[in-house]
Amino acid sequence: MSGSQIKVEAKTAFRLSLDTWAVIIALLTAALVRFGILPHVPW
Amino acid sequence: MADAIALPQNPPISFSTRFFRLLPGVALLAAIGFAGKLLERNVNSYAKANHWVIPNIEYVLWAILIGLVISNVFGLAEIFKPGVATYEFWLKAGIVLLGSRFLLGDVWKLGGVSLGLVFIEIIGSLAFMTFLGRLFGLRPKLTSLLAVGSAVCGVSAIIATKGAIEADDEDSSFAIAAILALGAIALFTFPLVGHSLHLSDRAYGVWAGLAVDNTAEATAAGALYSDAAAKLAVLTKTTRNALIGFVVLAYAIYWASRGQAHTVANKAAFLWQKFPKFVLGFLLVSLLATIGFFTKDQNASLANLSRWAFLLTFAGVGLRTNFREMRRQGLRPFAVGFIGEIAIAIFTLGLVIATARLFHF
Repeated sequence: MSGSQIKVEAKTAFRLSLDTWAVIIALLTAALVRFGILPHVPW
Repeated sequence: MADAIALPQNPPISFSTRFFRLLPGVALLAAIGFAGKLLERNVNSYAKANHWVIPNIEYVLWAILIGLVISNVFGLAEIFKPGVATYEFWLKAGIVLLGSRFLLGDVWKLGGVSLGLVFIEIIGSLAFMTFLGRLFGLRPKLTSLLAVGSAVCGVSAIIATKGAIEADDEDSSFAIAAILALGAIALFTFPLVGHSLHLSDRAYGVWAGLAVDNTAEATAAGALYSDAAAKLAVLTKTTRNALIGFVVLAYAIYWASRGQAHTVANKAAFLWQKFPKFVLGFLLVSLLATIGFFTKDQNASLANLSRWAFLLTFAGVGLRTNFREMRRQGLRPFAVGFIGEIAIAIFTLGLVIATARLFHF
């Protein structure tokens, strides 16, 4: 392998953290409640 | 010309495949949580109808107990594991939605008191755990992981610190097992201590948020006492979580100065990367609730959504607690954690009682 070059390319995909996903989903759910799409959530 | 080398690659897993893999575990979390809710209602009404005097066992405890039995008696089947691991996602989403139950003024006032207590707790815990680790002859990086885990926020802090100080996998497994085992013990002991000392909801909630290390267990320990205590436990714990970046950065700089970890080039980027984003979500929802963006009914709905999310979290706390696996990790880190946690619990209890007298809560 003398004189040859080994090229390894690593591509890292853009990924959101668990924290960020939790915030996005929670805010989307809050928007559904605010705009009447989820009118009432019982307990 | 460069030689081309074909590296073996795993085929990328599509979003839909990953999503469907989560479903069995999430369904199990929901089923256990809902069973806990049904058991609370039915056991209590059955006891009342038969004139039995039994303590009111809340859905929180039922959900944790069912999870513990499944995990420790039957074992968790592989198909459920990816979905069960989402319990932290539900916890964080639940905390963001819980922001609707706090006016920003309350967050400022209570968070301010909590912040003062959190500073004292973090400094005291780091110093004491470091002393104990040296006394018991633990490896220095394992001592650092245990100190950060007990001072800041349990498993997340240990994982963040592990990367920053380049600790071994074995050290982080030891530290995580000790913190989780102690969290499980706290779930059952904290409410008993709180009731025997007749602590107010506020005092108990702040204590649970200060002394219980993992956010899920701190939330559950609060909810086992009362709804109001759970709110305060979450607020105090969130204040602790917000400081994770600073503590991890300090440890990273310390280990880098000893030539045993990489130096941190961009400190601001490091802090942002480690900062728990759900704290910002919590503050945003609290701000929206404060300016009247939601009606009273909508606030109630958001609070209920937060409870449903926590229900899945509590089921996950039981399911991921496996005593056999914890025992395998060895006794010494557990002993250090155990002694340290008892000292921290007593220290923070004294701190909270003194502050409660001073600030009348």
